Amino acid sequence: MQGFPGGAPDPQQLQATMLAIEQACSLIQVHMNPSEAEKVISSLHSSLMPYQACRFILETSHVPNARFQAAGAIGDAAVREWGILSDDNKRSLIAYCLNYVMEHASSPEGYVQAKVSAVAARLLKRGWVDFPDQEKSAIFFEVEHSIRGIHGPNRQFAAINFVEALVSEFSPATASAMGLPKEFHEQCEWTLEVKFMKDFYCWAQAAVFNAADSILSGNASIDEEKACSAAFRLMFQILSWSFKYNVEHANSETKIDSGLRSDAINLKKFERSLVKPGSMWSDILISSGHTTWVLNFYTTARQKYSYDPLWFDSPIAASCRQLIVQLCSLAGSVFPNDSGDAHINHLMHILSAVVLWIEPPDVIASSIRNGASESEFLDGCHALLSIASFTTSLLFDNLLKSIRHYGTINLLSALTSEAVKSFVDNQNEEETWGSDALDISLEIWNVILGDFDADKSPMSVDGAIAASNLFKIIVESHLKAAADSAFEDTDDAEYFHVSVSKRDEQLALYAQIARSAADTTIPFLAQLFSERFARLSQTNGENDPTQTLEELYWLLLITSHVLTDSGEGETLLIPEALQAGFPNVVEVAQHPVVTLSWSIINFSRQCLDPGIRARYFSPRLMEAVIWFLARWVATYLVPLDVSRGQVSRAEIDNVDKHGFQHSRKVLNSFAWENNQGELVLDFVVLISMVALTTYQGENELQTLICQKLLATVVRRKHTCTFIVQLDSWRDLTRAFASGRSLFSLSGRLQRSLAETLACAASCIKDPEASVQYLKDLMGPVAGCLVENASRSDLKSVAQKADVVFMVCCLLERLRGAARATQPRTQKVLFEMGHTVMNSLLTLLEVYKNQSAVIYMILKFVVDFVDGQAVFLDSNETSVLVNFCLRLLQIYSSHNIGKVMLSLSSSLRNELQAEKYKDLRALLRLLTNICSKDLVGFLSDSSIEGSQDIAEVIYVGLDIVTPLISLDLLKYPKLSRDYFALVSHLLEVYPEKVANLNNDAFARIIGSLEFGLCNQDSDVVERCLTAVNALASYHFKERLGGRGGLSSQLMESEGSNGTLQESISSHFLRLMLQLLLFEDFRMELAGSAADALLPLLLCEHGLYQGLVQELLEKQQNPTVKSRLAMAFHNLTNSNNLSSLLDRPNRQRFRKNLRAFLGDISGFMQIK
Amino acid sequence: MSDSEEHHFESKADAGASKTYPQQAGTIRKNGYIVIKNRPCKVVEVSTSKTGKHGHAKCHFVGIDIFNGKKLEDIVPSSHNCDVPHVDRTDYQLIDISEDGFVSLLTESGNTKDDLKLPADETLNAQIKNGFGEEGKDMILTVMSAMGEEQICAVKEIGGKS
Repeated sequence: MQGFPGGAPDPQQLQATMLAIEQACSLIQVHMNPSEAEKVISSLHSSLMPYQACRFILETSHVPNARFQAAGAIGDAAVREWGILSDDNKRSLIAYCLNYVMEHASSPEGYVQAKVSAVAARLLKRGWVDFPDQEKSAIFFEVEHSIRGIHGPNRQFAAINFVEALVSEFSPATASAMGLPKEFHEQCEWTLEVKFMKDFYCWAQAAVFNAADSILSGNASIDEEKACSAAFRLMFQILSWSFKYNVEHANSETKIDSGLRSDAINLKKFERSLVKPGSMWSDILISSGHTTWVLNFYTTARQKYSYDPLWFDSPIAASCRQLIVQLCSLAGSVFPNDSGDAHINHLMHILSAVVLWIEPPDVIASSIRNGASESEFLDGCHALLSIASFTTSLLFDNLLKSIRHYGTINLLSALTSEAVKSFVDNQNEEETWGSDALDISLEIWNVILGDFDADKSPMSVDGAIAASNLFKIIVESHLKAAADSAFEDTDDAEYFHVSVSKRDEQLALYAQIARSAADTTIPFLAQLFSERFARLSQTNGENDPTQTLEELYWLLLITSHVLTDSGEGETLLIPEALQAGFPNVVEVAQHPVVTLSWSIINFSRQCLDPGIRARYFSPRLMEAVIWFLARWVATYLVPLDVSRGQVSRAEIDNVDKHGFQHSRKVLNSFAWENNQGELVLDFVVLISMVALTTYQGENELQTLICQKLLATVVRRKHTCTFIVQLDSWRDLTRAFASGRSLFSLSGRLQRSLAETLACAASCIKDPEASVQYLKDLMGPVAGCLVENASRSDLKSVAQKADVVFMVCCLLERLRGAARATQPRTQKVLFEMGHTVMNSLLTLLEVYKNQSAVIYMILKFVVDFVDGQAVFLDSNETSVLVNFCLRLLQIYSSHNIGKVMLSLSSSLRNELQAEKYKDLRALLRLLTNICSKDLVGFLSDSSIEGSQDIAEVIYVGLDIVTPLISLDLLKYPKLSRDYFALVSHLLEVYPEKVANLNNDAFARIIGSLEFGLCNQDSDVVERCLTAVNALASYHFKERLGGRGGLSSQLMESEGSNGTLQESISSHFLRLMLQLLLFEDFRMELAGSAADALLPLLLCEHGLYQGLVQELLEKQQNPTVKSRLAMAFHNLTNSNNLSSLLDRPNRQRFRKNLRAFLGDISGFMQIK
Repeated sequence: MSDSEEHHFESKADAGASKTYPQQAGTIRKNGYIVIKNRPCKVVEVSTSKTGKHGHAKCHFVGIDIFNGKKLEDIVPSSHNCDVPHVDRTDYQLIDISEDGFVSLLTESGNTKDDLKLPADETLNAQIKNGFGEEGKDMILTVMSAMGEEQICAVKEIGGKS
């Protein structure tokens, strides 16, 4: 072949190379000495001009892997040596690869062919900008002929494969690296999309078209079918391209009226996005009837091959369906700018074909259960989902009505019920078609019901009936499954919580269906409950109630989802669908939501009776009851002013003509009527007490009480003010403060209970009463700790397990209370902390070998300082700071230089993990103390205190930094805490840094460098802040004629070996490196600018030198001048001055953003 | 605050006190101690399960014997009590290492304690020997004791002055 690169081949050497490569390949396959073998192969990839050898291997070797490697080597070598190859060389390499795939088109090793195609595509892209247009056309001329089938199906297949490879090479996400700037890739992407993509699609269309007849008549050869399915795949791939260079129509009003959504939803959950190829594609995709042709082709083929169950999974069927689903997602200006008719027509066409895949759902589902393929059914669901995402629920429903006597929602309902049944039957297996189909169909419901314009197009009457029927089937299937599984053991394994959140997501989607037909589904739920309540009360201990309990458990979960939204931390509203769903209900007692709520609450009340409790309130049922109560209280005990209607009165009167409003009001106010609200709250406290004391060791349940139910009630002011006045609440607090019963809770729960109880203090209106409440609550706890820490025989009893347990409980309680610090309660809690300070130091000494206790003391102090810091005056601050200083000293005297010995590596790991946790706690403590200083400047008297703080922090840092290694900084939580502290510190006390000794200084700077290259953008940002602080300090000091940080030198690798330089030059180098050559994230540009500006100002001379150096390195004159321009603009545009004031920083931020945008095109390389 | 009487530690400092203490299984956490098959263990894993969905919770403990490093497991209903060992750690200054591997330790009261051997692990062994013998450093050894057994579990060098 003419122009093939490389000298005249030496046959013997070629043979030897081939043998070596073949041997290496076979060694890798049997996994013997793989690293040696890989070395041999990579030497081929990196050797100089390996083309002759590769060609020899490709043409003569019988080992397909060797051919594969040879092809890859051609690609790698050519991209590397592109500069030294002549134009002839380049062309002949591409031609060679293309010829190779064409000639060996019938080879059975598809992956070798694919690799050679990919190499051809890669090289073609590499030369894309240099090659003149006629050369490219010549290549594509050949390719087109082959694709059209002129040279037979094998070549057709090979050519389609090549175009596929080309498209994926040109698409940014799948492009291979070439060491070229981003602009090059963008340019390739643009020309391919605008000039070639449509042609490719037409060729593939023609290929399919030509093969269609023989396939439909059943005469097609295997090769023809293969080529045809490849063509479908290529069309699919082209439609998956993310089109960028198209013009969209403006959104017109008429289109919205037609029932198409103005805000087409992106279906991220199923990795699909809209296909918007633009108006250029209108002719081939829409007006030519292409879609109809594809649909007809598939419909005819499936009819013809309906005898063969395997056909549905054949490549041709699968790829054709994939294309159809993709065609569903077409959107934008590819449709004419009419009132949406063309788009609706398009969707209707598709639906009329797709409906055959999914209808009738019960028949199809049963045949799948008998072994038929499910893929067509699932693709049908996907198509339906795409259609739903474009349409309002009304239009969605109507689409089917033109060909059936029922709407699409009806079909969807039937389809979902089949999916639910199959899902419930196979719940213990993973990845069944039922669960896939259920996921998709629930998402469709979510898309139709979650439509924001739902008010404008409410669900039709049939639609509501369909939803209601579906919900009945859902509930019945799940109840049956619940009853069947009631006796299974449950394992609270790692995946437990994951599966719970998955289950909640599913239940929330079910609930959405139920709400869309609330007038029938809520009474249905109420009836199911009353049946089960009756069944339970009849059991009298003879029949095992377990199955009924499990049914109730599930019913409670689904009912919670139907009646309430989950919204963590938000103010919950009564779901709109329920407020609007009962326009005709006037009487409170008749409102289904009201009756359902009271029947559940009244049933739950029975758990207060010990006899009934023992009979059927199992821990699991209690969990569901508590969970329901928490959500119900948060939603339905609406703040009084809202529920009594003062606020929304005017609004209600205005729209009263609808007649809806009365039932709305009923729903918002029923919970407080006739003292019911107070009774419910009283019940909440009583049930909590029961669950905490009589369900010993049921951690799940008790966690729900402490962290969900009580926390919910206390967090809301309007419920909290009521609850603190209750006698039952007083009993609970008394039991906590001075009884023994609540010591049986686990430590974590003691903490959250203490936090909740202490939080309630801020809802007691009278300040004195509030103080007294807290004193009564926490006084005994603190008192007990003090009393025991001052015992004379402490040393001898301290290590007893029960004493350790008790101390831990007390510490957890203190910590919980400290976390509840609020402005109103801060004083009392500070006193509480103050009284225990000395005892804590004693305990720190006594328990120096009990890591668990030490950790808890540290954590208490961390939370205490965190809560208190902002409130303290100078005296209190100095008390606190002195305490922290002594704490740190004692801790370090016990821990520095200690080596733990242990026989078991897992125990040793545990010990290390404990140290790591201590370290984090210490870092947090220091950060929290630091934050005090940031607010401290507000008051003059804190000057004295602030020196103390600086001292504590530097003592702390002295303890902490030697323990932190760069390895430890790889742990994200630790590194975040550490860098938060360091940046804090450098901002507040840069002058201290100047006085640090060399070791400490090097440690801090070293860790900053490490942090700047971190993946976590939070960490990088903090480091940039720190650098900014250092450099700004240095600059200001020098401006004032002082030395600043000049005394601190760094060793740094400059262009001519290692040299000593000031830290500002050190960081300047580092920053330029980072900005120019690393993949710098734009969101950090602001902080980078802030860090860079003072560095520039400090080291102007060095900066000019570095820029010069950079420019000289550039070979390419255009790049050079653009880079020079960018640098010039960076420092000269926007009137940048040499000050560090705010406006100047803002200007520099702007400049740097422009600079980064400018250079990213040609400096960043892929 | 007379109510706080109830919080008093119950343990007395008298000799012969029990070596373990009962604690509800549900409150024992990872990193705590527990007695499994009559051996003191550190808990490295706790998981809970139920007998039948509506039964009571059980705790499944995985513990590691603090003296010999062996892994032990136990299942206990979470409302029942488990034995928790009293684990004590005491620091002593090292005053001598005898030829047969026994160490001589200085107790707080000024007596010596001579009944402990160096740890079996070679490297740890060497660490103590070299630090004490050849480099002449002052060393503090921490001795862990539980249920009648004792073992050296940590060393710390104290710089220059003692």
